Amino acid sequence: MIPFTKHTLANGLQVVVHENHHLPVVAVNVWYHVGSKNEKPGRSGLAHLFEHLMFKGAEHQPRGFFEPLQEAGGSLNGSTSADRTNYWSVVPTGAAELALWMEADRMGWLVPALTVERFETEREVVLNERRQSYENRPYGLASFALSEAIYPSDHPYHWPTIGYPSDLRAATVNDAREFFQRYYHPANASLAVAGDIRPDVVLAWVERLFGDIPAGPEVMPPVATPPAPPACARLMLEDRVELPRLYLGFSTPALFAPDDAVLDVVADLVANGRTSRLYRTLVHDQQRAAGLGAGQGSRELGSLFQVVATAAPGVALEELRTAISEELERLATDGPSESELARARVLAEASFLYRLQTLGGFGGTADQLNAYNVYTGSPAYFAKDLDRYLHVTTSDVQRAVRQYLPPDQAVMLSVVPQGEPQWALRDSERAVVTT
Amino acid sequence: MGPPRLGTGRGDHMSSSQRFVMPSAGSPARLTFPPVVRQTLSNGARVWAIRHTTVPVVTIALVVPVGSAFDPPGSPGLAGVMADLLDEGTDRLDAIGLAEAFASLGTELSVDAGPDVTTLTLTTLSRFLEPALELLGEMMMRPRLREDDLSRVREIRLNGLRQLRSSASAVAERAFLAAVFGGHPYGHGTLGTSAAISQLSIDDVRAFHSAGMRPAGATLIIAGDAEVVEMLQAAERQLGGWQAPGGQPLPAVPPAPASAASRVFVVDRPGAPQTEVIVGHLGPSRRVADYHTLVTLNALLGGQFSSRINQNLREVRGLTYGAHSSFDFRAKSGTFSCETNVKGDATPLVVSEILREFEAVGGSRPAGAEELERAKSSLTRGYVRQFETSVQLAHAAGRLATFDLPSDTFDRFVPDVEAVTPQTVSAAARAQVRPDEAMIVVVGDASPWRTQLVSLGRPVEDAEIEF
Repeated sequence: MIPFTKHTLANGLQVVVHENHHLPVVAVNVWYHVGSKNEKPGRSGLAHLFEHLMFKGAEHQPRGFFEPLQEAGGSLNGSTSADRTNYWSVVPTGAAELALWMEADRMGWLVPALTVERFETEREVVLNERRQSYENRPYGLASFALSEAIYPSDHPYHWPTIGYPSDLRAATVNDAREFFQRYYHPANASLAVAGDIRPDVVLAWVERLFGDIPAGPEVMPPVATPPAPPACARLMLEDRVELPRLYLGFSTPALFAPDDAVLDVVADLVANGRTSRLYRTLVHDQQRAAGLGAGQGSRELGSLFQVVATAAPGVALEELRTAISEELERLATDGPSESELARARVLAEASFLYRLQTLGGFGGTADQLNAYNVYTGSPAYFAKDLDRYLHVTTSDVQRAVRQYLPPDQAVMLSVVPQGEPQWALRDSERAVVTT
Repeated sequence: MGPPRLGTGRGDHMSSSQRFVMPSAGSPARLTFPPVVRQTLSNGARVWAIRHTTVPVVTIALVVPVGSAFDPPGSPGLAGVMADLLDEGTDRLDAIGLAEAFASLGTELSVDAGPDVTTLTLTTLSRFLEPALELLGEMMMRPRLREDDLSRVREIRLNGLRQLRSSASAVAERAFLAAVFGGHPYGHGTLGTSAAISQLSIDDVRAFHSAGMRPAGATLIIAGDAEVVEMLQAAERQLGGWQAPGGQPLPAVPPAPASAASRVFVVDRPGAPQTEVIVGHLGPSRRVADYHTLVTLNALLGGQFSSRINQNLREVRGLTYGAHSSFDFRAKSGTFSCETNVKGDATPLVVSEILREFEAVGGSRPAGAEELERAKSSLTRGYVRQFETSVQLAHAAGRLATFDLPSDTFDRFVPDVEAVTPQTVSAAARAQVRPDEAMIVVVGDASPWRTQLVSLGRPVEDAEIEF
């Protein structure tokens, strides 16, 4: 349980405060409920590029956004996903008002500071980020290929959050200004403050600093038709890699929808870590896989469940595919053992507690309060969230695997070394990834 | 769409002159490092307890002075493989049985082998302190170390090394360490080389384990929400019986080499869209007298987002997603380097700019008073953020053990950084940032820019990287 108070300003800004005096620091965290899923076709990557622009400095920040906060002893960053954009700073207590002032200034007065020159320099930074983190990284384009195969081209999860280079090059500073007008305003934001400070002090500051920023237009949630079974279930990508790797992707229920947490547990049971079933067989006993993982990638409009296995040298991906299918089949038929479920419960309890150790940063207390507030409307959802994991039953697991992970509904992507397409699953079509 | 929101006219209900004045950073928060209660177990190992009660969680860190710097000549990777085997089971539990035992306690275990020490870190719920320590004791006293486990671990590591060949940053780091340290064991990472690892027998690993994993010199740190006396007594109960085997301990790490002459190392990756760049040279050990001056210097030059190098290469020129410099302080020596990743055609410009920044801070553009104050302020004011979690506290204490630092080290940080002056930081820059000695490693599609690198006036060679 995370104690908090919550208020909503007249302009719609939601403010969540968690008071905690263990350390003389304050975490400030702002979520804007906008991500790459809100982008228009032809302007992919704008949400993330815009996140970068938020760090260039607003109208009353001539020295930029980073310098005043770093000089004050702060640490800061931001990130963009398909669903949301978050910004955080952690500062010594004395600089809490400064951190809030900086956020207010860029929520209200970014545009006057948004010059063509800043926009164009930052676009180059983002194109570098894309090349460094995806194009020049082994297996870096796999997630793009998988999403493009699973979601039809008009689905908001079809395109990558980092964007297509051609779209990024086509974007203009006016696109960025429009994006700001539409999405960056109090009614589409949630502010969480956690740490060494009293809620009444925070609220007084927030009222003064954010209260006069106009509410802005209502943001309509993007519409998504659930993806139909994809036209092509087997894809192949040649990449600068040494070992072939197989990705199985399934379209699964959305974040916090029924069975979302069950599928998280399924991922752990099947292929996450040394206590997972496939680790025992494929890595430990048979040494047919050089690496293994699984995850329920939970998102607002629908989730993507993945199982990923890297073949040991000389092992065919078909063998790994068969082993994964058989293990899913076994789990659907027999269900998990009582000790597997007991372990999952202890791990859930422990990991929720470990998450409370930090006030700020990605995944810290303030970030969690905002996540729950934005996605469920209630910062108190922490306890309910944990409950979802503590109550997973054998039949839940069986039902979820049977319903959502039937092997014939997987999109299968083989990533193989350049010039060695023979390592892909047979009958795989070449994936086209826009670079 | 709502009303236009350009400009500043947003119906201020206070005077705009006041509304738009940036608040000050306030007064600095002060924090003293929590008391470290130090005792010695009956087997000679040190045990340090730190009470930290924010969340009912405890971190246990066992720091043992064995790492890749102790790899025998011809066996790069032995310490790393030995560390890999530590969590592959005990005489009672196989690798998966041990993982299940920790999972049943909600305990996270990580084994980190570095150049100077190997650290086993366990984070657990306070109520599982004793059983978690019991499992750690079992790992130390009755390790499995079997042939079939070695064979599996070796295969995983060989596959990992094979995959790293396609990672530009891994290739560059390998080339850089080899260039700076040559044949000294700091010249290779803990992963070692495939050739050496393939040759290792279980007897090699057992011998290295019994020479290195000993209570003498080891430090067991327990930090978190438990009574100090409870932590110390549980440590004695569960690890007091850990005894050194017979035989000799590991020989000492050889002294660090001298600086070598500057060279350019090219690793050609035809078709690569980006170039990975590392520029740097030999640096001092963690025990260097002007440590705090060097930390301040780095914050000013390249350690932070708003430092000179990132401002130049990212914020002004848009050439990279980020550029970062750091001192890698080790027990016997270290490195100073700047790392970045840039679009291929920017390679020669970026290398020249990094060298120019290295030169400038000790010469043509020394630290200005205001700039220095900003760097110092970020470090001194931000220091309180370093000690929030039990893991942070345990690992901070682990650095005291690793480098044999005085117990007031953390409390001296703020006053020592505050004492840095433009004069001392310039002197430190001249002594410890030496563009003329820099090794320059570039990993990318070399055909467009290889010839331009010759104009740097340093020998250019193709690097042979062994994985």
